[in-house]
Amino acid sequence: MAAAKSFADKLSFEQIKIELLNTAYGNDRTLIAKLDPRTLFLWYAFFGIAPWFIHSRFILAGMLLFVIGTTIMTKVSRLIIFILILGLLGESGYLLIASLFFGGNLGIIIPLLVLTMKLSVISLASITAFCSMSPERLGEGLLRIGVPGQVSFSISYGYRMLPTLFEEYNHIFMSYRLRGKSPEKHGLFYFRTVIYFIKLAVKSFYPLLLSMAKRARTTVEALETKGGQYAFRNPAVKKLKLANLRIGKTDYFFLLISVLYLISIFISSHYVSF
Amino acid sequence: MTQIKERYTLTQSQKMMVFILSMSLYGLSNMITELVPEVNVGPVNFSIEYFAFIPLTLCILFHPFYAAIGASFGEIIFGEIMLGQFSGFGEMEKLVIFTLAMYVAGIIVNNPKNRVQVGIAAVTGVVIHQFLNMVSDIAKVWIGVEDFEAVSGLPQSVVAIEGFSFLNDVLFSGILFALLPTLYLVPRLYGKIEPLLGMKPCDNKTKYPISGILKPRFILVGVLLSAAAMGFEFLSEAGIDIFEWEADFGSTAIWISLAVAAVVALITIIVLVTGKNKAKRGMANE
Repeated sequence: MAAAKSFADKLSFEQIKIELLNTAYGNDRTLIAKLDPRTLFLWYAFFGIAPWFIHSRFILAGMLLFVIGTTIMTKVSRLIIFILILGLLGESGYLLIASLFFGGNLGIIIPLLVLTMKLSVISLASITAFCSMSPERLGEGLLRIGVPGQVSFSISYGYRMLPTLFEEYNHIFMSYRLRGKSPEKHGLFYFRTVIYFIKLAVKSFYPLLLSMAKRARTTVEALETKGGQYAFRNPAVKKLKLANLRIGKTDYFFLLISVLYLISIFISSHYVSF
Repeated sequence: MTQIKERYTLTQSQKMMVFILSMSLYGLSNMITELVPEVNVGPVNFSIEYFAFIPLTLCILFHPFYAAIGASFGEIIFGEIMLGQFSGFGEMEKLVIFTLAMYVAGIIVNNPKNRVQVGIAAVTGVVIHQFLNMVSDIAKVWIGVEDFEAVSGLPQSVVAIEGFSFLNDVLFSGILFALLPTLYLVPRLYGKIEPLLGMKPCDNKTKYPISGILKPRFILVGVLLSAAAMGFEFLSEAGIDIFEWEADFGSTAIWISLAVAAVVALITIIVLVTGKNKAKRGMANE
C-alpha cells in the first residue's frame, strides 16, 4: 500500500506535465536528435516493418539489442519506458495465462517471446525515431515527405497547447472538487469514490469544450491573418520553410552503421543456430 | 422555397476550427486515459479505454467528417507521439478505423435534440470501433506468431481474449464513457458551442452531403488502403512459407523477406511523395 501511495505521489499532474515537457523539448542535443528527419523516417521504415517478416530468433535478438542501444542514446524519459514495458508485459502475460487455460503447455512461451521481441523492436525503434525529434522537426519532416501542411501545423500546435490545456483541465477538475462534496463512504471496492471521480472527469470537459471552442476560433483567425490556408498549399512557402533541412555526414554515418550492423547479424545468423 | 434540404457547408476556416477543437480536446482526454491506472477484477478489465464521448459529441454537433478526422489526429499527436508510443504504420490503421466509426456515428444523428438518436449513434460508434479493433488485433497475432495454428491453445485464447475485451469495452467504456456523457453533453452544448465557432447550429433541416465526402478520390484511397492491408497479410504469410520451405538454404529466405520489407518501405515513401504531388495538382484544379 505504501509503495502504491508513493507511486501515486509521483504520478501527480505536475510531475506528468514536467515529464511531457521534457519529452517535447528536453533532449534535442543527443546525436540522434541532430539527424535529419528524413534519415530517421527511412531508418524507421525498415525497423518498423522488417520485424514482422523475420522469424529467426537470433536476428530479432540482434535487432532488439541494436534498438535498445539507440534508445539509450536518445536519453528518453523513464515514464515512457515504464508505460511501454507495462503494455508489453501485460499483453503477453494475458495471452500466456489464457492459452494455459485453454489446454496449452509451456511450449507457448517461446512463440510469445518472439512476438514480444518483435513488438519491442518496433516500439523501441519508434521511440528512437520519434521521441528524440523535436515537434518542429517532426512537423518539418512530415511536410517534406508530402503530408499536408495542416498536419504539421497541428503537431506544433498540439505540443505548444498541451501544457496549457492540461493545466486548465486540472484547474477545472480541482475547482469541481473544491465545490463538490465527495462521498462520505468509499463503498464496496471504493465503488462510490470511483464513480464520483469519473463523473468529475467527464463533467470537467463541459467548460473546457466551450473555452477550447473559443480558443480554436482565435487560433484560426490568427492563422488567417497570416494567410495560413494559402501558405499550406503554396510550394514556394514550403520550400522556404524546409530550407534548413539538410542531410549531412552524420546522417550517412548513422545509416551506414545501421546497415553494417544488420548485415553482420544476418551473416552471423547463418552460422549460429538457436 | 426549396431551401428545406439545404446543404450543410462550412468555409475552409470553419473546417479548420472544428478540426483543431476536436484534435486538442480528444488529444487531451487521450493523454488522461493513458495515464489513469487500470483496475483488473479477475479477467475483467475496468480500464478507461477512451473518452469516446468527446469525438461523439463533436461529430454530432458539427460536421462529422472534420470532427472525426480531427479526433483521430488528436489521438495520434497527443496520445501517441507525445507519450512516445507512436508506432508509425500502425497509426494509419487506427486513423482509418476511428475516423470511420466516429463519422458513421455522426451521420446517424440529424437532430441533436433527439435523445434516442444520440444514444443510438453513441453506441453504434463504439461498437463499430471496437469490432474493427478486435479484428485487427487478432490478425496481428496471427501474422506475428509463426505457425499460429500449430501452437496449441493459442488461436482459441486469442479469439477469447479479444472477444472478451470487445464485450468488456463495449459494455464498460461504451456505456460509462460514451453513452451517458454524450447524452449529458449534447443537449447542453447544442446551440451554445456553435456560435463560439461562428456558425449556425445544425438542425434537422440540414443534411450532410454524403456524395460530397465520398468523392472518387476518397473511395479510391480507401480501396487501396484495404488492398494494401490485405497484401501485407498475404506477403507475410508467403514469407513464413518460404522460410519454412527453404530452411536448409538458410539465409536466402531471410534475404527475401528483407528485400520485401525494403521494397514495402520504398513503395510507402514513393506513394507518399506521389500522393503529395497529386494532391497539389488536385488543389490547383479546384
